[in-house]
Amino acid sequence: MNSKALDELIVDGKDGFKVHRSIYTDEEIFQLEMEHIFEKSWVYVAHESQIKHHGDYFSTTIGRQPIFVVRLSNGEIAGHLNACAHRASMLVPLESGNAKAIRCRFHGWTFHLNGQCLVVKNEDTGAYSNQNFKQENVLTPLPKLQSYRGFIFASLSSEVPSLEDWLCGTKDWIDCLVDQSPEGLEIVKGSSTYTLFGNWKLQAENGVDGYHVSTVHRVFASTIANREGKHQLKDLGQTEAGRITGQVPSGSYDFGHGHMGIWTERSKPQAHPLWLEKERIDREFSQEKAQWMLFRTRNLFMFPNAFLMDNPSTQIRTMRPLSANVCEVTVRCIAPVGESVQARSARLRKFEDFYLTTGMATSDDLAALESVQEGGRASLAPWNHFARGVGAVHHKGEGELMMSEHAPEHTTQNWDHEVIYHGFYRTWRSLIQKGLTA
Amino acid sequence: MNHNSALSLAQDLIFLEAEHLDQKNWDAWLDLYTEDAVFWMPTWINESQTTTQPETELNLLYLKGRSHLEDRIYRLKTDDSFASVPSARTVHLVSNVRLAQTEESHLTVKANWMVHSYGIHGALNRGGYYDYKLRKINGELKIAFKKVTMIDDKLIGPVDVFHV
Repeated sequence: MNSKALDELIVDGKDGFKVHRSIYTDEEIFQLEMEHIFEKSWVYVAHESQIKHHGDYFSTTIGRQPIFVVRLSNGEIAGHLNACAHRASMLVPLESGNAKAIRCRFHGWTFHLNGQCLVVKNEDTGAYSNQNFKQENVLTPLPKLQSYRGFIFASLSSEVPSLEDWLCGTKDWIDCLVDQSPEGLEIVKGSSTYTLFGNWKLQAENGVDGYHVSTVHRVFASTIANREGKHQLKDLGQTEAGRITGQVPSGSYDFGHGHMGIWTERSKPQAHPLWLEKERIDREFSQEKAQWMLFRTRNLFMFPNAFLMDNPSTQIRTMRPLSANVCEVTVRCIAPVGESVQARSARLRKFEDFYLTTGMATSDDLAALESVQEGGRASLAPWNHFARGVGAVHHKGEGELMMSEHAPEHTTQNWDHEVIYHGFYRTWRSLIQKGLTA
Repeated sequence: MNHNSALSLAQDLIFLEAEHLDQKNWDAWLDLYTEDAVFWMPTWINESQTTTQPETELNLLYLKGRSHLEDRIYRLKTDDSFASVPSARTVHLVSNVRLAQTEESHLTVKANWMVHSYGIHGALNRGGYYDYKLRKINGELKIAFKKVTMIDDKLIGPVDVFHV
């Protein structure tokens, strides 16, 4: 694949915006994505509440590479490749746990949590030629590791913009969630992982696809309407479904750097667990910010691998692409620390209703995306179209903007406009182009 | 009721439930449950433990009251769920049924299960444990509580009440 061939996979001009279906199935493109996007950009790795105490670790991947993050005794967070400096055995065998030092299970080398090599087993009889053997065999730290308000991001390349610049306007939407509790957010105990037999970009598109909601999820809306018609449910017992049936104002944001967002007004704001905190929110934040927190749902895609959602419930969803045709997806509930049992319970029940492959909506998304992956083999008609909203774009500085100085690249006033994907695919293309021409 | 007759009644009910699910006799399946029945399937929190506090921790399924089971059936019957058309064929194999406790009002029963399903992903096998509380109502046993521990973690395809 050369730069010109890559360029031809996206048609971005007067004739509309099209992407070639091979980008979802071609393994060569997949390897380029891993090398030049996932392994060269900031990616979300974990939430700080998952490694609260000294020695708590969490292991995951960045692109194709196993890594872990760990809480040091001074409260700071370190991150390393999850591979022994010696002969690459994975150092942390579990997804999460606690260790005060890390001993490799293969040859017994032991490392400080900061990566320093403490013990080379039988070093004295090793006949090593180098006196400084241990000093030269430290764990490889992640070149970049930084938190934004509890969300830990890392990069396998140090050649990245500052995290603040990278996140740009998404920070406002992250703040709208973090500020729901004075104590910040936490990952609720439990998670679910599913295998999508489809390309990771289909998942990336789907989480901010307002357009599919009124078809794929109308069955969810009708199920909820049936439930609420039969039973007298009030306030937190109700479920936000107005956005599904398209009864509320909505919009889309292209934040730049491939980050995308969609929002809708809430048809039943009193059904949201945050409603119990309305008085405090109104007191502590500007009217505009309180409006975003209490009265709007927000789906945020943090390029390239994570979603942060605040709609009927709240979740963080991460993607681990395994090949062009397979992506592992993990969903976790993220919630305000210290909220009442009543609010937490309502938040979780709405989460379970919708967001899981055992639920009544994510299961339908999964089936739809796998159907797209299968349908995408119909290469005789090679293009997917993202045309909705082309004539309704507000460029930077026009129309409704976010509440801070972080103006998005463009916005539209309908969440089903597909123009948000233009920014995603332009970033996708430019990062691979940069790698190909480096 | 002696141990053997209690075990036999419990087993009959659990096997009948399996049959209703496999045959997609949805209304007959719902009839096996009490009004206030709880159907619970926890998530895994690590390699060896599941969530234990369903109210405040994440579950795969936590359906409190038969009406929530009815929601699932309502959705299946619409034929409008992408995940459910086409629907997988399933066969439940339930074994190792044992009586944990016999009381005047209810039986506590444990069992193991495997469900072989065949659908859009081809053949899939999932398995785990059941914990039941069966309540005696007018001389008849009904399911008042069912906990499904599914040992499979990274899930393939949709998993609905009839897949487990």
